[in-house]
Amino acid sequence: MALPPVSFTLEYPYTRTVGPVVGPFLTGLRDGRLFGIRCRGRVICPPIEFDPETGETLAHDFVEVGPGGRVESWSWIAEPTRKHPFQRPFAFALIRLEGADTALVHAVTAAGPEAMAVGMRVRAQYRAERTSAITDVYFVPEALAVDSYVPPGKGEVGITDHLISLVYDEPLTAARERYAQGLLAGRFIGQKSPKSGQVFIPSAGYDPLSRVLMTLADDVELPPTGTVVGFTVITPVQYYGQKETEPYIRASILLDGADTPLGQQDIRDIPAAEFRVGLRVRAAFREPASRSVDDFTNRWAGTGNCIERWVPTGEPDVPFEQVEGRMF
Amino acid sequence: MERCAVVGIGQSKYSKRRADLSIDGLVREAALRALEDAELRFADIDAIVIGKAPDALEGVIMPELSLADALGAVGKPIHRVHTAGSVGASTAISACTLIESGMFQRVLTVCYEKQSDGNATWALGGGRSGSQGAGGSFAPWIRKYITKSGAPEHIGWKVAVKDRLNALKNPYAHLHLPDISIEKVRESPMLWDPLHFLESCPSSDGAAAMVLTNTAGAARAPRRPAWVIAHAKRTETIQFPGRDPVRPAAGVECAKALYKKAGITDPRRQIDCAELYVPFSWYEPMWLEGHLICDEGQGWKMTDSGATELGGDFPVNMSGGVLSSNPIGASGMIRCLEAASQVRGTAGDYQVEGARIALGHAYGGGANYFAMWIVSSEPAPSFH
Amino acid sequence: MEDIAIVAFAQTPSYRRYPDSEPALLMGLVNAILAETGLERREIDFTIAGSCDYLSGMPFAFISNVDAFGAWPPVYESHVEMDGAFALFEGFVRMQVGDIDTCLVAGSGKSSPGRPREIFPLQGDPYYHAPLGLDPVSMAGIQAQCLLTAGKACERDFAEVVSRSRRDGQSNPYAQVTADVSPDELLKEPYFASPLRKHDLPPISDGAAMVLLARGERARALTRTPVWIRGIDHRIESHHPGLRDLTTLPGLEIAAKRLAIHAAPIDTAELCVRYSPEEIVLREALGLDQGTRINPSGGPLCGHPVMATGLTRVVEAARRIARGDARRAIAHAASGAALQQNLLCVLEGGA
Repeated sequence: MALPPVSFTLEYPYTRTVGPVVGPFLTGLRDGRLFGIRCRGRVICPPIEFDPETGETLAHDFVEVGPGGRVESWSWIAEPTRKHPFQRPFAFALIRLEGADTALVHAVTAAGPEAMAVGMRVRAQYRAERTSAITDVYFVPEALAVDSYVPPGKGEVGITDHLISLVYDEPLTAARERYAQGLLAGRFIGQKSPKSGQVFIPSAGYDPLSRVLMTLADDVELPPTGTVVGFTVITPVQYYGQKETEPYIRASILLDGADTPLGQQDIRDIPAAEFRVGLRVRAAFREPASRSVDDFTNRWAGTGNCIERWVPTGEPDVPFEQVEGRMF
Repeated sequence: MERCAVVGIGQSKYSKRRADLSIDGLVREAALRALEDAELRFADIDAIVIGKAPDALEGVIMPELSLADALGAVGKPIHRVHTAGSVGASTAISACTLIESGMFQRVLTVCYEKQSDGNATWALGGGRSGSQGAGGSFAPWIRKYITKSGAPEHIGWKVAVKDRLNALKNPYAHLHLPDISIEKVRESPMLWDPLHFLESCPSSDGAAAMVLTNTAGAARAPRRPAWVIAHAKRTETIQFPGRDPVRPAAGVECAKALYKKAGITDPRRQIDCAELYVPFSWYEPMWLEGHLICDEGQGWKMTDSGATELGGDFPVNMSGGVLSSNPIGASGMIRCLEAASQVRGTAGDYQVEGARIALGHAYGGGANYFAMWIVSSEPAPSFH
Repeated sequence: MEDIAIVAFAQTPSYRRYPDSEPALLMGLVNAILAETGLERREIDFTIAGSCDYLSGMPFAFISNVDAFGAWPPVYESHVEMDGAFALFEGFVRMQVGDIDTCLVAGSGKSSPGRPREIFPLQGDPYYHAPLGLDPVSMAGIQAQCLLTAGKACERDFAEVVSRSRRDGQSNPYAQVTADVSPDELLKEPYFASPLRKHDLPPISDGAAMVLLARGERARALTRTPVWIRGIDHRIESHHPGLRDLTTLPGLEIAAKRLAIHAAPIDTAELCVRYSPEEIVLREALGLDQGTRINPSGGPLCGHPVMATGLTRVVEAARRIARGDARRAIAHAASGAALQQNLLCVLEGGA
C-alpha cells in the first residue's frame, strides 16, 4: 500500500523593519490615514524611497491622500486563495487615491462584479484589528463607505509582521517510497549502481557519479550494523518551529555494505565522551506500530522516526584510516 | 576579451538588525556608495547583477523583481545569481563576465541579506526542527582536519581572535569585540563540537556593491581601479562515496585554475594578502591548505606562526572576515570587494602596505561550491 | 561578437505531476544531449541552470539538481534563481568572452507540490503586495482589464488566443493541456479572475528544458543544423503597477530595437504567453503583425513548467529552425507578474 504524499508546511513569522518611508505609510494606516510621497511635483502612492526616474533618494515629504479614490482597473476574484484579504469573492483593483498621481493595488469588497466598474469611486475603510501592515486597510464602493473613528496609535511603526506559511504535498518518489517502506518494516533498503556497483542509502533513485537512473532491480538490503564515520554535538538554537531543547549528537553512520553514510542520526542516549568516529553500532528499530516516516522528503536523507536508538555492538573500533575516506 | 576593473566599492554597515532600513534601503545604501565612489549615477549603468542566498531567508522570492526600481534597473537587464554561500563571489564573477564579454560597459553588482527579517538557522535547516545550521554540517569535517593534521586545539581560537581584532579597524564590520581574547573564545559556549560560539560567524544584515567597467571606463575613473586578472569557479557533487569534504577536490581545482589564469606559480609568495571565506575559525588553516597556499597539513602552522596576521607575510581577512560580518548572500562579494580595496589602497586602517595582488574567495553549500578572483593594482602584473 | 549556436536541445513533456524527482527529470535530458552530440561530460566547458527553490519549498533545492548535470570530477557551473532563459543569457554572455567552446543551459521546475497562487505573491513587494496575497493571476486579470479599457482588445481576442493555442498544442507531443474548442464556446465559461476565465490561465506543470551552446567552428562540427543566436537581450519594467502602463512594455521595445528583430522576416515567434491577454501586449510591444505565426507549439497555455517555460520557447523555436520549418525566429521569456521582465532572443538557421 503506497504511503500518502508527504505534506510539509514551510512557515515562518517574518518581522520586517520598514525604514523611513514604508514606516510612516504603515503608521498612517494604523492611524486611519493614507500617505504618498512627493517626487518632483508628483505624489507617489504607495510611497517609495527614491525617484523612479533618477534613482535619487527622495526627501521624506509625505502628503496625505484619499480616503477616496477612483478605480483604474480591477479583477473580480471568484475563488480567493487562503492568502487573500477576503475569503469571499472580492476585487483586486488599481486605485488612484485623491491627491495621488499614481495608483496603488489593493482589495475592494463589494456585492459582486456587477458593483465594480472602471472609474467608480471607492473609499478606504480600516479594520478594527490593525497590525501595522498593508492589510490594515481595504476599500469599498463609496456609497457603502462608513465613517468610523480610528484611534491613532503611539509612536512610529518600525516593524511589520508577515507570517508566511506555504503547504507542499509531494508523493515520495519510487526509490524513496521503497526505502521508507523498508524502514517501516524494520529493514534498510539501499540501491546498488548497475554502473559502478556502489551502494547508496538512502538512494535518490540515481547514481550521481555515472548519471544513471536506478530501478527496483537495483534495490539491495543492508544489515542494521555499521560504523560511526562523523558526528558533532549540537546545542540547539531556538527558532520558530524548533522542537529541540537539549544538546544531542548528530552522527553519520556507514552501514556495513554501504558506500554512502546515513546522515542525520540523532543520538541522545550515548554520552558524548563514549561516542567516537570508528564506533561500531547496531540499529534498534522501534516497535512496528510506533514507526513513522511523516517528516520524509524526496530530497533530504534521514530515517524518519523508525529507529529507537543506535546501540554500540562492543566490537573493536574501526581504525580512523579505514573510515576517513567514507565520511561523506 | 575585454578587461574588467573595479572602479567603485560600497558597503552598508553590517549589524544583527538594520532596524533603520527596509530591504530597498539596505541595497541602496551599498549601491549608492559604490556609485559615489565611481562618480557615476544609476543612469550610467548598463546592467545590474544581484546575488543572494536562499529566498527563504527573507521570504521574498526572486527579489530582482521587487528591487528593480530601487536599483535603477528599469529599462535595463537585471539578473540574479544563486550559488548558496558562495553566491557573493559568483555574482562578482558573473558581473565581471558581462564586462569581459564586451556586451556591457558599466555594471552595478549588489549582494545582500536582510537576515533579521527571518532566521538563518531556520532557513538553513529547510524550515524544519532540528536544524544543524551550517556549523553543524562543517563541525565533523573540522574534527577530521584536527585529527588528521594533529593541530593543537588553540588554532581555531587564534583565528577567532585575529579576525575580530582586525574588525576593530573596519568601521563597517558587525562585530566589534574590543575585549576578545583566547580565554573568552575558549570559554564561550560550545555550539557544534568542536566549535565554540565565538569561533562562529554572526548573523548579519548587510549589502555590498561594486561598479565594474572596462579598460576605457577604468581610464576615466576618479580613483585607482582594481583590475580583475583572473577568476574561477568549481563545483563538485555534494554527496558521493569517497568524497573528501575536508579538502574538496573542487577547491583544489578552482585554485589551480585561478592561479594558472593569473600566471601565479607560488601563491604564498606572489599573492600579497587574501580575503578567505572563513565562517568558522578552523576554515582559515583548512583553506590555506585546500587552496594550495601552503602544503597539506601545514595550514595550522602557518596560522600559528602569525603569518596570517595583519602584519604577517600573508595577511588573511584583514577586514575581519566572515567571522566579523556575515550577511550570507553578501559575504562572498565582501571578500572580493575587500581584496579590491586592498589593491586600490583604500583599506584604511587595515590596509596591507603596498598590496599589489589580492585574493578574494568564497565557498558554499556542503563545501562543494567555490568561487574566487584575483585582483591587482596593475592590469597586467608579472610574477617572478 | 562570437558566433554562438544551439547545437542540441531537449525538453521533457509538461507533466501535471512528474512522479520522480527534479534531478531525475533533468538527468534524462543531460544524457540525451550527450548521446546526441557524442560529447563527454568533461567536454562541456560551462554549465548554467535556472530554477527556483520556492517551487518545492526547499531552500537550497537547486544543489541536488547538480547531481543531474554531473559534477565529478569538479566542473565549472553556476545557477540563477530564474527561468532557464536567463541562464541562457548568462551562458551566451560567458561565451562571448571567447575562451570557452561549449555551454550547457538548463531550466527546470516542479510546480505540482506547491500551490502557485499562494507561492508567487512572494515575488511581490514585501511591504505593499505580498501580504495581500496578490498573485500573478489577479495581476493578469487587472492587466487584461487595462487592455479592455484602452480599447486594445476585447474578450473574444483572449478566447481566440486560447482556442488557437490549445488547438496548436494538439500537434505538440510535449503539451500537457490541449483542446479543440471554439472562441464562442470559451466565451460561455464563467470568469475566474475577471476578465480572465479558467482557460485563459496556464496549467500547473512539472518539466525541464535544456540546450547546448557551441562557438563558431565547434558548433559547425557538432551539428549540421546549428541554430545561431544572433542576439539576446532582456529588460525589466517597474515593479509598481502605478508606475507603469500595464498594456505596454517599454523595456521589451528597447530589447526588440537593439536586437533589430525586424531587420529580416520573422517566421516564428515563441512567446511566453502565460495568460492569453499577454499575447496582445507582446504582439504590440514587439510590433508583430497578424501574419506572424505565434506559438506554433501551443505555448505556455498548453504547458507551463515554471523556470523552464522561457527556455522551452527557445527550444521550440530552435526545433523548427533545425528541421527547416523556419529560417528566422524570435523566442521570448517572461518573469514576474504582468510581464514585468522580458527576455528576447533572435535565432537563425544557416551554415
